[in-house]
Amino acid sequence: MHLRTNQQRRASRPTWLLMAASLFLAPTAFGVVSIDDEPAKEAGTEDEEDKEEILALVGGEIHTGLGGVLRDATILVRDGKIEAFGYDVDVPEEAEVVDVSGMRVYPGLIAVGSFGLFGSSGSLDDSVDPYNQNMTLALAAGITTAVEGNTVAKLKRGHVDGLVVNSAAFESMSYSNGNPQGQLKVEADLKGAADYIRAYRAWEQEKKSNKEAKEPSKKGVDQKSLRVLRGEVRPRFNADTRTDLLEIARLAQRFGFRPIINGCREGWTVADELGRAGATAIVTPRARRPKDESLLREGGSSIENASILYEHGVNVVVVPASRGISLGGIVGQDLLHLPVEAGFAIRGGLPELAGLRSITIEAARVLGVDYRIGSIELGKDADLIVTDGDLLHYQTFVQWAIVDGEIVYDKQAEMFFAHIRPRPETALAPAEKMDSGEEAPADAPEADPEGDSEGDSEGGDDEKPVTDEASGDGGGEEPESSEETAGESGD
Amino acid sequence: MIKAPRVELGDGEVMEHAVILVEDGEIVTMGQDLPVERGIPVIELEEGQVVMPGLVNPYSRYGMSGGGYNDSRPQVMASAELYPSAAYKVFLENGVTTVGQYPAGQGIPGQAVAVRPKGETAGAMIVEDSAYLKVVMRNSSSAKRNLRDGFKKADDHLKKVAKEREKFDKAQAKAKADKKKSKAVFVPPAADPRIQPFFDLREGKLRALVSIRNAASYAHLVDAVGEEDFEWHLRVPLTRDIDVFHVTEEVGERGCFVLMEPLITLVPGTLRQRNLPAEFERAGAKLVLLPRTDSKAGFESFLEDVGVMIGAGLDRKAAVRAITHNPASFMGLGERLGSLSEGKRANLLIFSGDPFQPDTKLDAVMLDGKFVSGDMDQ
Repeated sequence: MHLRTNQQRRASRPTWLLMAASLFLAPTAFGVVSIDDEPAKEAGTEDEEDKEEILALVGGEIHTGLGGVLRDATILVRDGKIEAFGYDVDVPEEAEVVDVSGMRVYPGLIAVGSFGLFGSSGSLDDSVDPYNQNMTLALAAGITTAVEGNTVAKLKRGHVDGLVVNSAAFESMSYSNGNPQGQLKVEADLKGAADYIRAYRAWEQEKKSNKEAKEPSKKGVDQKSLRVLRGEVRPRFNADTRTDLLEIARLAQRFGFRPIINGCREGWTVADELGRAGATAIVTPRARRPKDESLLREGGSSIENASILYEHGVNVVVVPASRGISLGGIVGQDLLHLPVEAGFAIRGGLPELAGLRSITIEAARVLGVDYRIGSIELGKDADLIVTDGDLLHYQTFVQWAIVDGEIVYDKQAEMFFAHIRPRPETALAPAEKMDSGEEAPADAPEADPEGDSEGDSEGGDDEKPVTDEASGDGGGEEPESSEETAGESGD
Repeated sequence: MIKAPRVELGDGEVMEHAVILVEDGEIVTMGQDLPVERGIPVIELEEGQVVMPGLVNPYSRYGMSGGGYNDSRPQVMASAELYPSAAYKVFLENGVTTVGQYPAGQGIPGQAVAVRPKGETAGAMIVEDSAYLKVVMRNSSSAKRNLRDGFKKADDHLKKVAKEREKFDKAQAKAKADKKKSKAVFVPPAADPRIQPFFDLREGKLRALVSIRNAASYAHLVDAVGEEDFEWHLRVPLTRDIDVFHVTEEVGERGCFVLMEPLITLVPGTLRQRNLPAEFERAGAKLVLLPRTDSKAGFESFLEDVGVMIGAGLDRKAAVRAITHNPASFMGLGERLGSLSEGKRANLLIFSGDPFQPDTKLDAVMLDGKFVSGDMDQ
């Protein structure tokens, strides 16, 4: 297995003590259970212990995702939330310390569309496979949150509860030039909702002077349109062509809502209109489609799409062409390459920070979960990734992924990438070998068969903690000169 | 009386130069170099021969037929399906002296029965009914619902009974006030037969064997069990590559029984081998090994397969336990059989050598003090 073993072992010890204590307190309660009942019956207590864990990432270059970069700084995580980060962070003794010097810490990435990361379909809480390989691979790509269907969920490896962040991510709307009847319906619905809101406000005013005033009837008012116009949700459209984009932009401006536009291939040709409409575009920079040659005006895909949209005030979110983890078909354009996809937006001229934001905080905003995730800010969920280089560089590896303060991915403990450019010794005290099948627990030699260890390979790495408690330099040697505090770096 | 140069006791230990006195199907006395009284017929084994407790296979449908359903039917008893047939001879021929037979089906198919594979009638075969309740757990809402709803319905029934009781008490009080003598006795409303097994689970009268398919279904099992406190064990089929190594530690910490085949598996999607039985055993789980397939071929190669696992790193003592004492105590029969000591049933096997060597022959099988298979004369 991976990292969790270490945490769990640590967590389980006090659990056993607790259990022993409870046995003494209430001997009758455990009276008649069978021979094989060991004290470790409940699993619940273990989780509580886990939550008390404090994690400190020491010595990394922290990219908050909002523009702030703190070199050689520390992040302290408690109860799954970011408690402190900066240069003068006190690391408590009981904290699990990971030395990330020479590495970068980013907020965990968010994929606004995915499939196959959570296992089988159905209710996510009851059907998730938290050990499936796609989840591990997505974490290896730096993704800590993904949308499956219409549900925003975290990639909490090894957990079956607490994954869902938002169960209604999008409110889909269709408004396409190809379906004029549908367009009329959408317009009528929005108009009805707008009229209702106007009447309602008028009534609210009138009510103050005239108690007899009648509340306007909700009858026949489209609820979805109402929620959109009240700003409770942002509708998502699928649109790629210039005509559709223009019409959506104008509809949005006419009724005063901010659309999310998925695709937005020809957005660069009408970027000013989209910008005025306050749109957010979910784009795939590497999408390739030639223009419609029967039309004179500009069209087709452009590598500069993201950049031009951004310049005109459109918020840009990036997704790869394939929303799964795949090695077939369009290789290199799946979720494993989400950061690379954002890198291509930068290749087209998007500023680097906007590139990072396009797969973190902007994605979180689109999903309505930016109050919890998407950037490194105090009090936000500790969904972090540690990389050995620039996140958007294609050679960079995610070394650790952390979800809710728990290390759920460790490159050296998983078999996928451990052998490629193994983590340098300086970054981590105990030299870790990769997970190789049969293991011989280092801490339980008495359980070992006397002479039977021949045959299978001896991995035995799992047990090694990733923590670097021995080095003891956590927080001590940070330059004290800088006065930059954690709070300032936000926004 | 048997004089044996070497006896595997079943708990992993070995007794050399043992004398076993069998009377009325039971081991009466057993010890090292005991004096042999005159007049008692003695079977003196040759040097090299090994005695071992009869094998216990707690999870089999061999000899039974038919399919099951996909929902929750915990009241179904496998014993109802039981009938003596020639199939049970196959168990004896391969040294299996106790068998746990479970009802077919997915969901919660019902309760297993422990049988001795010999008897004129089904009744004579049954060693213990309700040996365990089989539960199938998957990462799906229906599988979790089966388990949760079972306990929920049990709770609902308790509430209903309490309500009826209250009504009855009130009626009694009224009758008393009216000075009528009533001899009414409170009769609780009858429970749905599907509820009783869940009460039995809670009260410790019944244990559950939960079949899981991967690490995820274990996580969902723990989630579905929640605060409920009952005895449960795991069936982990290794007939295909499986990722349960993710939860080895947790399962080991629980210390429950884990039923597996003696197979080396691969980490899914790779060619990395894992000896999961050995890993679970080392982590602290109580290992129970089952034949590779529930068939004659599986029974025949069973000991050899276990030998392969020992070669691949499984502790030998643990391997012996995993096929004798552990499966017996999993079914609640550990005090009666599955190992060799005074007071236990005289279910024992006589091998021509080390039972795990491929060239070793099973010379004789004794069931309840009588030779039932092999060419040993009494």
